[in-house]
Amino acid sequence: MSILTENIQVLLQDSEAAKVLATVDNQGIPHIVSDNTITINDEGQIIYLELIETSRNSVNLVNSIWFKRKVAIHLSKGEESYQIKGYPAYSIICGPVFEHYYKLSLERNPEFDLSTVWIIEPDEVINDTYDARKNKEREEHPLITHLDRLAK
Amino acid sequence: MDKYKDVSPFVIIKSDVTRRSFIYTDRALGALDKSKHQYQQRVLIGSNRDKNAAVPVSLLLRDGTSIIGMPSKTAKNPYVVDQIDGKLFLTDQGEIVEEVHYWYKPDYYDKFTSSGTPMWQVASSRPQRLDIDPNSHCHFWNKGNGCKFCNINANSTQSEKECNMSKQLTAQDVYETVKEALKQPGAFTNLKMSSGSILSGAEIFDDEVDMYIEMLQAAGDNFKDKKFPSTIVASAFSEKQLAKLYENTGLMTYTSDIEIPNEALFAWICKGKHQEVGYTEWKRRIIRAVDIFGAGNVSSGIVGGCEMAQPHGFTNEDDALKAVLEEAEDFASQGVSVVHCVWVPMHGSAFHNQQNPSLEYYVRLAKGLSDLRKKYRLNIDMDNYRKCGNHPDSDLDRGNL
Ligand code: SF4
Repeated sequence: MSILTENIQVLLQDSEAAKVLATVDNQGIPHIVSDNTITINDEGQIIYLELIETSRNSVNLVNSIWFKRKVAIHLSKGEESYQIKGYPAYSIICGPVFEHYYKLSLERNPEFDLSTVWIIEPDEVINDTYDARKNKEREEHPLITHLDRLAK
Repeated sequence: MDKYKDVSPFVIIKSDVTRRSFIYTDRALGALDKSKHQYQQRVLIGSNRDKNAAVPVSLLLRDGTSIIGMPSKTAKNPYVVDQIDGKLFLTDQGEIVEEVHYWYKPDYYDKFTSSGTPMWQVASSRPQRLDIDPNSHCHFWNKGNGCKFCNINANSTQSEKECNMSKQLTAQDVYETVKEALKQPGAFTNLKMSSGSILSGAEIFDDEVDMYIEMLQAAGDNFKDKKFPSTIVASAFSEKQLAKLYENTGLMTYTSDIEIPNEALFAWICKGKHQEVGYTEWKRRIIRAVDIFGAGNVSSGIVGGCEMAQPHGFTNEDDALKAVLEEAEDFASQGVSVVHCVWVPMHGSAFHNQQNPSLEYYVRLAKGLSDLRKKYRLNIDMDNYRKCGNHPDSDLDRGNL
């Protein structure tokens, strides 16, 4: 069962939501791409479609699956904002799943030449709204605040 | 794996599975779906398989790495492919190593050409490559001088006898099969042709060149532009022959295998090639192909580990590796990539009783060859992990930018 709540699953299926994928290279240098076609499959895994085989992002994902390195996805719309960390679990380059997404990307844009379907297994979800993060801090670190905020 | 933390574990697993071979449990064989997976394949070297046995042709790892190998009933310490909780895994001594998938069957596979040839016998399919081997007979064997690791003629003779599989393809069958294959969106990124060497003609290999021209033109009639992503793995052609091939076909890249990158061992293992052309000339011709196809568009394959075949091969792995990498560097510095496959002492080859080197040897070899490409800025798009899948070293290149 996926660790993603229904809320998040709906957001992942929403093409209007902002979706950003962050990876790191072998030296730890981060790289991010914004792609609102990031979505979810029936098993609750995240799907990222790589269109450029030789991109920095693609190479980072390859190294992430090889060396078990996490990637992060930021997901937001309106007041909602989440960060999902996970591991690339499959790099699909052929077969029915690949061909399904190949046709889908062609429908989006006839110029798109899909390289790889990446399947990312979510491992950790963080509610990323300011309220959620601040409430958490207040609970865990009550001493961290400015006094003027506590004045009568 | 702990010792080689910067080398993809998938590539290490692939190398070891290829060198030690594997078998299937009945449960794993039960997971083969003949409507979905490939269980028949025409190959030049190896085995075209028994037409009645439904055994997957090969394996795919989670990261898209292919393991090109055949199960061997005589392997002494094979991996075992098993089905556990509905998924397929490679296991070693009962321990799960990695998840695997069977290769998918392309849509054209079960169709027939107008002459009645099953299309899978015309073009085999790797995960993203169409493989067309128009001539499965090598003339070097006619004088008993076939390469000692190779079983091409034994395999094609057996397939012709037992399965009525023709050794030669026709241009019309090639045209029709490629036409059908291209109807499947996203299925292929490259077309490869290979064949046994044909020594006849006014100049040695002239007839082989003409055969490739005819077959590449037939395949090429299906493409909009004259040039299309393609390669051949062929004999070492002269500059004149290469120019003729390039000008008259859609061919974009070229491979001719040096097999054993050491003159003395080449003379022993590839006796026919050495007698007819010679190591120095074979190598010179490959390097000259760069003038026509461009740096990075020419490669040469080696049978990794075969340099340790006995009684004449290296007896020390460090010495063998040093010799191989030095010669590979000479190629790379002149624009030619050297790629290796893992030597499997095959049934039907003169070396069937030999033992291949250690896994560590293969890890160092793959890393060494991939590092050379990085050093000389050679890309291997023509023969990479998704196109061929037979080279642990070019699999590693995909992790480099
Ligand atoms: S040239 Fe050597 S490796 Fe190639 S097909 Fe002939 S015998 Fe086999």
